[in-house]
Amino acid sequence: MNLQLVTCNHQTSDLAVRERLAFQPQRLGEAYETLRARFPESEMIVLSTCNRVELYAAHEGAEHAPGHRELAEFLAEFHKVPLQDFYSDLKEHTGPEVVRHLFQVAASLDSMVLGEPQIVAQVRDAYRQAQEKDASGPITSSLFERAFSVSKRIRTETRLAEGRVSIASVAVGEFGKSIFERFDDKRVLIIGAGQMAEETLRYLHDEGARDILVANRTFDRAEKLAAEWGGKAVPWDQLDLHLGTADIIVSTTGASLVDAPRFRKIRQKYGEKTTFILDLGAPRDFAPEVRKIDDNVFLFCIDDLQEICDKNRKLRQKEVEKAVTIIDQETESFMKDLSHRATGPIVKRLREQWRDVVDAETVRLFNKLPHLERDRVEIEKMIERMVNKLLHPPLEVLRDESREGSPHGLLDALKRLFRIGD
Amino acid sequence: MNFSRIGVGCFLATYAVVFCLEWLRLAGRSQINRALILLGGGIGLATHTAYLVIRSNTTQQLPLLSSSQDWLLVLAWLAVVSYMFLTALDRDLAVGIFLLPIVLVLTSSTYFVSDTTNRRLDSLYGWKMLHAALLVLGMLGVLVGFVLSMMYLVQQRRLKHHHLTPTGLGLPNLEKLARLNRWAIMIAVPLLTGGMGIGVGLGLYAKSNQESIPFNDPVIIGSTIGWLFMFALFVWLMTTPRTTGRQVASLTLWAAGFLMFTLIGLQVATGKKIFELKTWHVQAPVPQHLWLARHAR
Repeated sequence: MNLQLVTCNHQTSDLAVRERLAFQPQRLGEAYETLRARFPESEMIVLSTCNRVELYAAHEGAEHAPGHRELAEFLAEFHKVPLQDFYSDLKEHTGPEVVRHLFQVAASLDSMVLGEPQIVAQVRDAYRQAQEKDASGPITSSLFERAFSVSKRIRTETRLAEGRVSIASVAVGEFGKSIFERFDDKRVLIIGAGQMAEETLRYLHDEGARDILVANRTFDRAEKLAAEWGGKAVPWDQLDLHLGTADIIVSTTGASLVDAPRFRKIRQKYGEKTTFILDLGAPRDFAPEVRKIDDNVFLFCIDDLQEICDKNRKLRQKEVEKAVTIIDQETESFMKDLSHRATGPIVKRLREQWRDVVDAETVRLFNKLPHLERDRVEIEKMIERMVNKLLHPPLEVLRDESREGSPHGLLDALKRLFRIGD
Repeated sequence: MNFSRIGVGCFLATYAVVFCLEWLRLAGRSQINRALILLGGGIGLATHTAYLVIRSNTTQQLPLLSSSQDWLLVLAWLAVVSYMFLTALDRDLAVGIFLLPIVLVLTSSTYFVSDTTNRRLDSLYGWKMLHAALLVLGMLGVLVGFVLSMMYLVQQRRLKHHHLTPTGLGLPNLEKLARLNRWAIMIAVPLLTGGMGIGVGLGLYAKSNQESIPFNDPVIIGSTIGWLFMFALFVWLMTTPRTTGRQVASLTLWAAGFLMFTLIGLQVATGKKIFELKTWHVQAPVPQHLWLARHAR
């Protein structure tokens, strides 16, 4: 079995690169269709969040499995981005490193905000979509299911998820509170109605924000979110008005909404009040030039959290170490299960084949030498021991090899040497 | 302990050491550093207080009215009290980085201003006391506004450039800084106006009693110009409906900076006759050998 991963995340690349490779939800179906056409024998799962774009591929055999280059070319062609623009930012993992990476991602060890809970839901969502698009299979299913249980175990057995752990809480807590003294007299505009919008709204609500407006292209979703938090849904076509009057703007759509000329016009029309803009979208909703429009616009995007999150990570180093130990154990356990799945049938058939030979030869022996019948038990035990001792070295090597991934070469050799059929 | 040996240099040196310790905070938080800051600040303040008390006893006058030097030392003392209070209250607030340089300038400048005891306090003592008190409190407000404005501009710059990694330079949020700055101006300008008004009244009263009080006195003219800037800022704040924190901070920095610069600069210039300026606010200077002897203690 072959596991392959290419990842472009907040540790390997800037938001400027990630946003070009991000998969818009509406194009995900098309992405899976393309992947299926290019790699028909592989299981594929796409994980695209504001902090990462990752392609997980699994393949029963070593042949025809997509490699790093092929997956990168798919990204380049699908997003129409030249390969050289991002190839050096892509990181490749294979075999147990794929498992370890996914476990780290699901446990939020690889997140910008350590311990943040959203990532599990995002991974679950990616897995569900792959299932719906018929792109996942038995290997990726067991891999992702195990990732969820590892994530749960880490949250239970460590204190990684305690304290300020959401992107929204860090962003509002660090940036918003450096600008504003209080939130209860501020007008908050939330753009988008997804999970990140809800998470930010929850934190702002807890901090006292009450004048909440929600704008979303689908008005029903805006209404639903606004109703949940005592806010008001506003029509999408009135966005400029609310961009001009809000004190806090949280944008989560990832749809490149506002460029500098548009926002400059808005500021000219509605005044240059102090405005805190938190752009959590990937691609960014606000052009980076917006922050230069005047002195009272404070625009922050996901990457601006990096320094604060690094410090947060250092403070929780002990919990990180505990989590890493769990991940190491779980990775080893998963790889054993995976190799057992690959080698188990071969070993079973090999043992059965030898057992058949032993049984046939024992019958012949006792037919020819009936006086040995009284020592039958001892003789059968001796043959059993011989078989086990003879099989032990090759099976030991097989077990050792399978710790580092599926030992396709050895399995083929065993099949050919002992004429084991599929 | 012989308290009479305490000189300006004692607490000036202590404040300089505390200022250096404040800079060390930028490298990272340290309990030892904080303890040393509080200890150094406390020693400096105690020495400063003792010096003012001794001066008051020697001159038989309250420091506010005694001399230009004592007036500046009272202003510096009030600034240090504010600094110590805020530092003890908030371990993260880096107010010392902004406030202590002003304290050092105020204290250092006392070497160059007149320390001659005011001999014209026999009449209208209460009014003269009120005049000096209002001016010193008003100047404290101006000084606070100046510091808050600097903090606002630094914090705004940090936010604009996303340099928010926690360091020893902890600053309040922009909204709070803007609000406090506004209040500092709102309080300082009426106090200064009251002090100036009483000063004018005292001058007119003195004239009516055949005393020569020239209103073209450089200290009076310079202070009046500085006050006019502050008053214009006050009026602008009261009448402009939508002002941004940065506008207020920038204007305060200029107006307060100008007022402090002119006031201290003119005291220095007239106190030691650097520019041959004569002022009614400074009495006949002490002979150079006496002045040196006094400061050498």
